[in-house]
This record gives sequence, structure tokens and C-alpha cells, in this order.
Amino acid sequence: MFFVKTLEHRLTLHPSYFSAQSQAYIEEQLYREQEGKNTGTMLIIAIIDIEDVSEPKVVPGSGLAQYDVSFRAIVWRPFRGEVVDGLVSSVISGGFFVDVGGLAVFVSKALIPPQLKFSVEGSAPSYTDNVDQTIERGTQVRLRIKGIRAEMGQMYAIGSIREDYLGPLMQ
Amino acid sequence: MRLYTPAGLKYPIRVTKVLVGRDDDIETNSPLFRYSYTTVIEVNDPDTREYKKQETNFYAEFESEVEGKVTSINVKEKQIIKEPIAVAEIEEPCKHEVQFGGMCANCGKDMDETTYSTTVKNTERATINTVHGHTKLLVSHEEASRADDEAKRRLIKSRKLSLVVDLDQTIIHATVDPTVAEWQADETNPNHAAVKGVRKFQLVDDGPGGRGTWYYIKLRPGLSDFLQLVSQYYELHIYTMATRAYAEEIAKLVDPGRKLFANRILSRDENGSMNSKSLKRLFPVDTKMVVIIDDRGDVWSWSPNLVKVSAYDFFVGIGDINSSFLPKRPELEARPTNPVKAANKAIDGPTPDVGSDDTRDGDDISKSGDLDTPGSTPPVMNGKVSAVDRMVSMAGNCDEDSMKEKSDEQDETIAAQLADRPLLQKQKILDAAEEEAKTSPAVEAAAELLAGNGEEPELSPSVSHPKYRHNLLQDDDTELENLGRSLRDIHQAYFDDYDRDRAAVKGSRVAELRPDGPNRKRPLDDIENIPDAAAIMTSMKSRVLSGVHLVFSGVVPLGVNPLNHDLAIWARSFGANVQVKVSRRTTHLISSPDRRTAKVRQALKKGSRIAIVNQNWLYACFSQWKKVDEEPYRIHVEAAMSGKPGVDTDDDMQKYSPSTAREDSGALFDQSEEDWSEIRGELDDYLGSEGEESDAESVRTESTEAEAGGSGVNGTDENGQSRLQKRKKEALSRTTSLTNVVEAVVFDAVSSTSRPADDPGGQGSKEEVEEDDLEAALEAEMLKQADEGD
Repeated sequence: MFFVKTLEHRLTLHPSYFSAQSQAYIEEQLYREQEGKNTGTMLIIAIIDIEDVSEPKVVPGSGLAQYDVSFRAIVWRPFRGEVVDGLVSSVISGGFFVDVGGLAVFVSKALIPPQLKFSVEGSAPSYTDNVDQTIERGTQVRLRIKGIRAEMGQMYAIGSIREDYLGPLMQ
Repeated sequence: MRLYTPAGLKYPIRVTKVLVGRDDDIETNSPLFRYSYTTVIEVNDPDTREYKKQETNFYAEFESEVEGKVTSINVKEKQIIKEPIAVAEIEEPCKHEVQFGGMCANCGKDMDETTYSTTVKNTERATINTVHGHTKLLVSHEEASRADDEAKRRLIKSRKLSLVVDLDQTIIHATVDPTVAEWQADETNPNHAAVKGVRKFQLVDDGPGGRGTWYYIKLRPGLSDFLQLVSQYYELHIYTMATRAYAEEIAKLVDPGRKLFANRILSRDENGSMNSKSLKRLFPVDTKMVVIIDDRGDVWSWSPNLVKVSAYDFFVGIGDINSSFLPKRPELEARPTNPVKAANKAIDGPTPDVGSDDTRDGDDISKSGDLDTPGSTPPVMNGKVSAVDRMVSMAGNCDEDSMKEKSDEQDETIAAQLADRPLLQKQKILDAAEEEAKTSPAVEAAAELLAGNGEEPELSPSVSHPKYRHNLLQDDDTELENLGRSLRDIHQAYFDDYDRDRAAVKGSRVAELRPDGPNRKRPLDDIENIPDAAAIMTSMKSRVLSGVHLVFSGVVPLGVNPLNHDLAIWARSFGANVQVKVSRRTTHLISSPDRRTAKVRQALKKGSRIAIVNQNWLYACFSQWKKVDEEPYRIHVEAAMSGKPGVDTDDDMQKYSPSTAREDSGALFDQSEEDWSEIRGELDDYLGSEGEESDAESVRTESTEAEAGGSGVNGTDENGQSRLQKRKKEALSRTTSLTNVVEAVVFDAVSSTSRPADDPGGQGSKEEVEEDDLEAALEAEMLKQADEGD
């Protein structure tokens, strides 16, 4: 789900950048570091605006200036039970992997409807019912997130398409 | 899941009450039974105000660490449990057999969660990595076997096997040297034709500076045909020590439709080990239907499933750009140019093929007398790796530091290649040599000889050919053709075996069914009884060189045990018997054409019984999977057959060989030399001392030969003649005296006269003769004593 969220971030600036443009440097650094970052629970999509940049404080011992910046950003956070769309990145015999933005989702065989069968016809693996539904690399899939787990800078989720209205999307 | 009482309880314990029955559903940490136990504690006695020990009963509950349905409970009330036993069986709703990123892929639960009662972590239930591109997906052993069975059934149904393909130097050769791009753009460049087909791609966040490095990829000739052919018989997998991004790019090049490899690509990012490859990574359960092709045997620990191919070395001197993660290759496979190819080129070339020396005239000899034997290189010692280094690198220290180090090492290699442009340098050297040759007043042929091989013996063999002397790169590899054929044969042999087995099983099944009736359970699944590709390959391979007894000479670098060298291991896998020294049973001597080692001489003495061939014969056998005709690969034949010499570094042999007969024109000497070898042969037979060279000698050979070569060049022109004659005399007198001894011994044994006493008296004016006679006398005396002793 997408949110607008106010976030805070602490930045340091090297003394060689101390000048009238310090503020600009800090802002540039913030955009560079934070946009697209995966915090483990959410993905920062874009920074809307910077609300406040604190007065810099020189860190004793190092000479670096420390800024506390608060900013508003559009973030994406997946939840358990949420239904999301994604792109199949690879298909294996035990299920298939879906990229939902920065989130890697695995849909295991147990959570795929039984009428979809694994096949490697033409050497490209796919799940297909041989009628109108085929899941192969590059297919758009709608799935429900069954479980989600975060590691540093990385999110993993388990998905399911074993429900009505889930599965490959008609293109 | 079966629950056991933990070992840490205060046994014996007494069950006081069972709280669940069969088919009850229980939660995690819900109690199964209550029990009491006795232990000693210290109690404060209010009367004496002292602590004293006292036995006390305590009560506790045994809790289930998993949720599910109780299928059996094995404890009764009042039962006394004395040691850890199985107390209950719980059927779990999900066994968490497939886990992704620390979650169960079937129920979505976090597998890292533990409670106070946990004895087995959930993450330990699935530890096997079976998927090519992802390390986060783990499965249990049962799940892996299930998947494996399924895969095998599918393969058998489509009558295919699995083929694991290595990339670098097996099906492609890559370099980052930007010279390639320049040559591609420059149509006048002599290498233009060769590099025309080279593809390139850029990896952005790779290489120095992070700006992206261009990689130049040369596909091995015939690659697309090869893949098309092989994909009919095999399901193809890529297994490389390169990065994921690199592997993907290569896959795009060799398989644009992604039909052949699909996403069966395993790179070092997912491999788990940084310096070895393991089939267990891809086929954790069994490897009966797997064949590997790779140019390195050591990284696979010489797996029996391996078909080792000879390394594809198109960009001369580049090697494998992704090899910094692998153990260092003990020796580059330096190969003499294929004489067959050389001969073909000679036909369209204006100059006589230097591979056969007999077309040389006197002029050439005088100019190129000190040339290396054309068309050959000494074994290039790429990385001289000590055994210890190797052990260290094999030991697999995969910690962060060493990985970083290796990554850096590779970055450095790539940076160095970018900066140094080894290809350009080599071409420059080549051009310089050519210039030199042109300015020389000698005839064109001689000049080309010089340019071809005199100046740069360390260059690739392909460089040394005069016809193509001006271009560094050659596109003449035929390995894949043969490889395709071998792989097809393996496939055929495998399914022949399979069909035979199945026919047999079916027959027996019908026979068994009759008496037992229909209730007989189906015999073991045919999946379990499929033939083993490794065994089939081993038996196919061992037939190739069976009965061949090999000796290496001047091939294995000094300090390497010839029996453990790659070539020896490889040869043994084809059924050859590798020996250290030449003996009666030796059939082939693998030697380098430019040095006549002691073993070569020894083998020459045996005449045609031992085939003296260069390494290419072995390579040809390896790649064609049959014992090829030795004829085109024979070396040192000139000396043995026609009496013409190879260019010889050994001054003795050079002087004795009749090519120098121009200098010393005596037909007499030729005659006597023949006698000499005949006599020596007789003597050898008589004494039965064929393997007279010691072990140590064979190891020392290289260095002594080299020294001999150095001195030989100086000595030839000035006093060759006189020294030659002197030596001949020496040799002659020595042999005659030795034969005398032989006779003398025979005599002595019969008449037991004291001949030795006479001999010193009969010493001539020549010192050598005297010396030899003395030796002879001593020897005779010793022999006599030995006889008498009997």
C-alpha cells in the first residue's frame, strides 16, 4: 500500500563542503541516499518535500557537520493479506518467483491452483492449464501476500494465487 | 513430528497425568502431560537457622514445541521415565518443507521464530538449495528427492539427460582488452578477420571506476550448431564462476531466444563455494543423469560425470578472466600446433612447412641453426603454484576477507588487462619481428622462419606459423564438433542401457506376477533403477586408451609429480596407464618435440615398439574419444627413421646424427654408429637393464637438458669436428671393451683363469682405452666373484 509519510534522517557533511551551498549539498545527499531505499519494512518511492533541515552541529572529534532532516515521502509498504500485482521473474518446478516492485515474492506449488501444472515444453518452464492460463517468465500475476519478512535492505514475501480472481492477468 | 523428552530433565520422572488424547488438536507450547521429579535442594531450617539439604518433589508440565494433531501418545499415568524417549507423535498442518527468505513457502510463517521449548529450529528443516538463480529458496531433503524424481521422470519421458555447461574457455572466450574493438573497426588490421565475429557487452557496475567495462566475447567455433545438436539430447544448464550479470549476458549471446538454457543459470553469486563447483548444488539427490562439460577438472574434483574439454584459448595469453576465484591452474595447456593443420596450411603457403625439417637447405641451417623446433612452444608455466598454495586455495576460506580479496584480485586483473592491452603488445612484438625479418638480406623463406618462431618462442603456437605470422589470433578450433559427437554417444549408450534394463525388469515382473497374483506390490520404481551416466562414461572412456602405457617426458613441469598432473589424471580417466619411467610395457612416450630428453633416447632405442608422440595425440584421443592414429603426431621420427635430426638441444645427439655429415663427411662413421647402437642394444638385452635411468634422473632431465642445450650451441661450429671424432672413438672403444667384458665373463665362468690380472698389463698408449679396460676388468672381477659365490 502507498502512503505519504513524514520521515527523519540524520546526515553528515564533510568540512570541505562548508559554504553557502551547504544546504543544497545536504538536500542532494538526502535525495541520493533515501529515494529508492528499502528500509526493510517499506520502500521509499519518492521524496515529496523537505520539511525541515536542522541547524548543523559539528561532531566532536571528526569535524563533520550533522544535520537532522525531516521530509515527506511516498512510501510503499506491503502487508500480509494484501493483494498485489507483479511480474514473474522465473519459474521453477516448485513454484515461481514474482517481482512486486522491490519485493521478491515466491509462490509455491502448494499455493497454485491444482489445475495449473508445471511443464517445460519448448524448454521454457511454465505453469499452465493448457487452456487460457499460462504463467511463465514475464507474465503479469495478481497474488495475495501470505507472509512477509524483512532483512536489512531486503524484503521477502510468500504469495498465493489459490483463490478466486488471483493468478495470471489477461493482457 | 515425533517429540522426545529432552536430555536435560531430572530423570527419573514420573508421569502424573496425561492431558491430551489421540486426535486432539494442540497449540504450540500446550502441555501434553504433567510429571513429578525429585531433586535435592537446600532449605533453611528455622530451628537451627542453618541451611540443610532436603529431597523434594516437584511437579512440571511437558509442552509440545509444535502445533498440530496428536496421532499417538506413548506415556501412561504413573509411568516412570528414566531416559529420553519418544513420548508423542504430532501431525503438523505444515511441515515447512519449502522455505523462502526465512519463511515457510506454504504457510507463510516466520521460520526464525523460536520459543523456550524449541529443540529443532524450523530453518533446519529445509537446508537444500536446488534452484539455479536463488539462494533464498531452501527445501527439505524429502522435498528435494521428490523434485528430483519428478525431474528424472520428465527427462526420461523426453529421453534427455542433464548437461552442465561451463562458460569461460569451454564454449566462449572473453577478454576486456579494448584492442579487440580497435581491430574490429580497422579493416586493414591482420586480425580483423578473426575478431569480426567477436561480440561485446557492457556491465555497468563492474570493473574499475564503476563506469562499466566492455567485455569482448568470442564464441567457440560451431557453438550454435553444437548447442542445437546437444539440446536434442540434453537439458542444458549453465554453471559458471562468473558473476550473475556476466552469466546472463553470455546466455543472451549464446542463446538469444532463451530456449536452450531458459533460466537454468548458476553463477558464483549463488554457488555457495568460491573455488569449487559441486553437482550437489544443482542435483542434491543424485547425479545419475548428469553430464558435465568443463575445461577445468580440478574444480570438479575430477568428478566421474565430467567430460573435460580442452580450454578454448582464442585471445592469446588472456586466460580465464573469471578464474581468480578458482584455484590456480597449475600449468597452462601449452599445445604444439596441430601438425595436420600445419600441413594443410603448408599446401597453400608459398614457404615450405617448417614442421618437417627435411626441406631445409644449407642456407637456412646456417641462419636458423639455433631455432627452436618450429611449431612448438615450451610448456608455459603460467602460475607456478606450490602445493601449499594450492591447498590453501582449495581449503575454501570463504570468509568475507578472502572473498573481498579475490574480488579485488579480479578487479585488478581486469584493470591490468585494460591498461596493459596484452593483445596489442603481442601484436607489436609480432610486427617488430616481421619488420626485422623483412630488412634482413636473407631469402624470404628464412626470414619468415625467423619471424615465425625464432624471436618469440613464448608466443602462442598459432603465432609461430610463417604463413599467418602477421596475425595474432586464429579461429581454428574444432573441439566442439568432437564434443558434440561424444555427448551424443554418451546419450545413446545411456538410453540403450536404460531400454535394456527396462526390458529385463518388465520380463521379470511378468514372471513374478504369475504365482503371486495381483496383490503383489509394484516392484521398485524404475526411477530408482536407472543407469548411472557416470558409470557409463567411465566405462566408455576407459576403453579409449586401454592397453596404453604412457610415459611423459618434458611435458610435466619440473617439481610436479607427473602422476598427479592434470594430463596424467585425464589420461588415466581414459584407461591409460601412466608410468614414471620407460619400461618394457611402455607403448607411448608423450614428449615435447623440441627437446630430446633421456627418455626419448631411451625410447628411440626400442625402435618402433614405443610410439613417441607429442601432446596433441593425447588431446586428439581425449576429444575424439578414440585412440587416434599416432602417425601425424609422431615426433623425433626423423632421427630414428631417416636419420635426419630435429633441431636438437642435446649436443651429443646432434653431433652423432648424420645431418652433420656435411661437416664430417665420413660414411664410415654412419656405418660404425649403426654397429654401435646394435651392439648396445644387444648388451642391453643381455644385461636386461632396460630401465637404467633412475627416478631422480627423470626429474632432473629438464634442467640438464637445458644446460646441455646452452653449451651445445657454442661448441658446434668451432671444434665440432675434432670433438666429435674424439667422442666417437671413445664410444667405440668403450663398447668394444664392454663387449670384451661380456665375453670375458663368459670365458671366466667356464675356465676360471685369472684374466683380469692380465688386462692391466695389456694397457695401450691411449688413456681412454686404459681407463675403460680398468673398469671392464673391475666389473669382470666382480661378476666372477658373484659367480663363485653362487
